[in-house]
Amino acid sequence: MRRFWPQAAAIAARDLHREWRSGEILWVTVPFGAIALLLIPLAVGADTQRLRAIGPGLFWVVVMLFGVLIAARRTATETTEQRDLVALLGVDPAADFSGRAMASGAFLIGFEVVVGLVAVVLYDIDLSLWPWLIVVLPVAATGLALLGTLTSSIAASVQAGPALIPFLVAPLSVPLLLGATQALDGIQPSGGILAWVLLMVTVDVVLAVAGIVTARPLQETH
Amino acid sequence: MTTERTARLSRLDRVAIGAIAVALGFAFLTPPEVTQGNVARLFYVHVPTVLVAYLAYTLTLVASVAYLMTKRLFWDHLAVAGAEVGVVFTATTIGLGMLWAKPTWGVYWTWSARLTLTAIMLFIYIGYLTLRRAGGDPAATATRASIYGIVSAFQIPIVHFSVLWWRDVHQLATVFRPDEMQIDTILFVAFLAGLIAYAVAGAALVRRRFLLAQLEQAVYDAVGKASTPVAGAGVAPPALERAAHGAVRP
Repeated sequence: MRRFWPQAAAIAARDLHREWRSGEILWVTVPFGAIALLLIPLAVGADTQRLRAIGPGLFWVVVMLFGVLIAARRTATETTEQRDLVALLGVDPAADFSGRAMASGAFLIGFEVVVGLVAVVLYDIDLSLWPWLIVVLPVAATGLALLGTLTSSIAASVQAGPALIPFLVAPLSVPLLLGATQALDGIQPSGGILAWVLLMVTVDVVLAVAGIVTARPLQETH
Repeated sequence: MTTERTARLSRLDRVAIGAIAVALGFAFLTPPEVTQGNVARLFYVHVPTVLVAYLAYTLTLVASVAYLMTKRLFWDHLAVAGAEVGVVFTATTIGLGMLWAKPTWGVYWTWSARLTLTAIMLFIYIGYLTLRRAGGDPAATATRASIYGIVSAFQIPIVHFSVLWWRDVHQLATVFRPDEMQIDTILFVAFLAGLIAYAVAGAALVRRRFLLAQLEQAVYDAVGKASTPVAGAGVAPPALERAAHGAVRP
């Protein structure tokens, strides 16, 4: 346990460093998400009132669907040999899972902020009670990061893994999507937010426990 | 022996066929529902099948946990049987629900929370089955699928209670509700007959799929294991040894 957090931090730093060098999320996934937000009004109509009403929901759908790409990117890039090397170096599988989830969480928060700003500009979303977003955005990002990391660990050694991961993650992200969208609705003065944040936190805790407990058995499947 | 057991109808299969015949008889002989008429008869299949699907997914959850604890493939075979039967029953539920919705609500599909989340649950377990089909060593596949099966199971209570959390067009529970049951006795008997019949049918299908999984395992043990590399993909045999096996010229 004494070495758990340093190892997790080292894995997270490795992933952050890798992204710093490649810029894959910044230059590919973020613009891709922004384009999706631009395309939707072309399909559903450019009525400003309607777009203002559905804007927060569209933002979360884009975050969930494109966030999967962020969480799953490691599986697409990391080889069996690299995974074996990490295992041979004696890295605790649970620390490996936690480190990768922390890095994905950081990427996802960045993704949410940038795409969120695009959504606010394009859809004229009301941000009068924005401080609640400081709670909702990280909780949702943490859940999606944990889910993506767990699912990519499950599918890591499967031949069709990179293609399979979005299909596995998207339906399981429903509690997070509901929690996030309903929490945003709850930001309005008449609504409630805590129950939905609590739902997302519960999902986060369940996924964190599942990921840590199953990290070693999953490593053995690689 | 297992091949013979899967080839012929078992006693359980015969009981299931008989029970479904009786349940369908009840469904057609009961009087039509007061407000919905004959279309409500679909509920004698629609509701029991979704309950059996929940049971099947619960079996997958329990078997997945048991597999991770014991590493016995017996449990994994039970888990895949539960998931496949659950998918069949969930698809039946959704299909019948859509047939009921068209004359009642005027559309095949409505954005009811329970309807949408049931469809999502179907996709989760199709994903589970797709993950299993991705291939590889049965023990590794079983571990991966067990973990995904456990995480997926958390979806089931959300689906079931969604109708209470989000009030929408989907009607509230009629039989399984916290206060008193809201169904006439004769209709309840027909519903109960359906529930028993489809539960027995589900058990029969689970049994057959379980035996099939055991056959698949026997085939893998006999044929598949020989073609599996001893070491991982990152380890290649030395050139001289490969030459001795005729792979390359020395």
